[in-house]
Amino acid sequence: MATQYDIPVGAQHISLLEPLHFKFTTENEKIIKTEANVGYVHRGIEQACCSKFKFRQVSFVVGRVCGLCSISHTTCYSQVAEKLMQLDISKKAKYLRMLVIELDRIHSHLLCLSHVAENSGFEALFMKTMAYREFSMEMLEAVCGNRIQYDFSIVGGVTRDLRTDVAKMVLEKLKIFKPQLDELVDIYSNNYTLGLKNKGVGVINKDDVYTLSAVGPFARAAGIPIDVRNETEDILPWKEVGFEVVTETTGDVYARNLVRLKELYVSMRIIENVINGLPEGELAVDFKGFPTGEAINRLEAPRGELFYYAKGNKTQILERLKIKAPTFSNVAAMVHGFSGNEYASAPAIIGSYDPCLSCTSR
Amino acid sequence: MTRIETSFETLKNDVAAFYKVDKHHFITMNGVDLGNDEIEYQWFFCDYDYPCAETMFVTKANADVLVPSIGEVVASAWVAEAELADLMGVDIENADKGFMLEVDSDEAPLRKKKK
Repeated sequence: MATQYDIPVGAQHISLLEPLHFKFTTENEKIIKTEANVGYVHRGIEQACCSKFKFRQVSFVVGRVCGLCSISHTTCYSQVAEKLMQLDISKKAKYLRMLVIELDRIHSHLLCLSHVAENSGFEALFMKTMAYREFSMEMLEAVCGNRIQYDFSIVGGVTRDLRTDVAKMVLEKLKIFKPQLDELVDIYSNNYTLGLKNKGVGVINKDDVYTLSAVGPFARAAGIPIDVRNETEDILPWKEVGFEVVTETTGDVYARNLVRLKELYVSMRIIENVINGLPEGELAVDFKGFPTGEAINRLEAPRGELFYYAKGNKTQILERLKIKAPTFSNVAAMVHGFSGNEYASAPAIIGSYDPCLSCTSR
Repeated sequence: MTRIETSFETLKNDVAAFYKVDKHHFITMNGVDLGNDEIEYQWFFCDYDYPCAETMFVTKANADVLVPSIGEVVASAWVAEAELADLMGVDIENADKGFMLEVDSDEAPLRKKKK
C-alpha cells in the first residue's frame, strides 16, 4: 500500500474563495477520502431575524446573507412572508423580481466560470470572463441602485420601478453581450487544453445526485432536470417568459461549465421577455397585520434550490426563520466528488462547485 | 405541503416507506424551539416531478432526548443533522458537534434563552 498523506486545504487558500476547509487524504496524488468543515462564518442571522428585527425588516437582513445572490434571499423570504400574510402581489412585481433574479444569475454564473478558468490555470480566460461579466453588474446597479446586496424585493412587492431609459439600456447591453457569450461558449467548449483540465474531472453522476440530494447546475450537469423555476409557476410565471431547463450528461467540471453558459442564454431570453412584456400594476401591495402560521418557499438561486421556512406568532417578530442555501444541499455531493481525482485537479473542481459559504453558514 | 406526524420510534420506518431516491430529494432538517425545553423537529422532502409536492415529517420531543438519524435512508442527511446538532444544541445519532460552529461560539444559538 502506498503512503497516505493528509493535505489540508482552507479555510484560507489561494484556490478557495470562501472560508471552507477540506482535508484530502491522498495516495499517489489521488484523493481517496475527503472531509469538509463549513462552520467558520456563522453569523446568527436566523436568530437575529427572530429576535432583533420586525418581519418587514427581515427582507433587508437576509439580503446580507450573501452578496452574490442577495436577490434570491430577499425574494425567497418575501415570498414566504407573503404566504404567511396571504398576500397576492401584482404581476408587475413578479416580472421585476424575475428580471433581477436573472441579471443576478448572469453575474453569478460568470463569476463561477471565471474562477474555474483561473483554478484551471487559465488566467487570461479568467480576466476575459470577468471583463464580460461587468455589464451585468452595471445593469444591476442601474435597475436596483446597487451592484450587490440590492434591497429590491420586499414583503408585498418590490422597491423600485424599471425606468424606460434603463430598460432600453439593458436591452442594448444584452445585444452587445450576446457575441461575447458566444465567444465564451466556444472557448469553454472547444479549447483543447482547458478540456484536458475539465473533462472527466470531478464527476458527479446521476446516481450520486439522486443519492446525495444535490441541486442546481451541479445536478443538471449530471442530467437531472431539477430546477425550482420549473416547479413553482404559481409563484413566479417562469415559463411565460421563456424559461427552459438546461441539462448536460457527463456530470464533470466541463458539463457544469456548459450548463452555466447555456443558462445564460435562457436568462437573456427571460430578461428580454420581461422587459418587452412588463405589465402595468403597483410595485407593492399595502397590507396590515402580523404573520401567523407556518409556510415554506423554494426559489432557484444561481447555485440551486434556496429554501425558507417561516413561522409567525401574530407579532411583529417571527417565531422561527430557517434558511437552507443551495451549497448546503451540495456539501455531501461535493465531498463525494473529489474521490478518485488527482489532487492537482482539486482547485478546478472546487471552482466548478461554486460554493457559497456565507450562504451556507449564515 | 403535506404534513406527516411521526415519532422518534417510527421515524426511520416512516421515512423509508415514503422516500424513493429517484422520486424525492431531501431538502433539509429543521428544529423549532417551542419553549419549556420542547423542540419540534421537521424533515422536508420534495418531488422531482412537476408539479412538485413538498412533504414535511414532524414530531415533538424534549431537547435532551437523542434524535434518531435518517442517514441510513437518506445519505445526505448527515449535513443537516450535524448543523441542527450545533445550532439547537441537541444530540443527534451519529452527528458530531463542531460542524457549523467554531469552538468559541455561543452554544445552541437557536434555542430560546431561559428568563
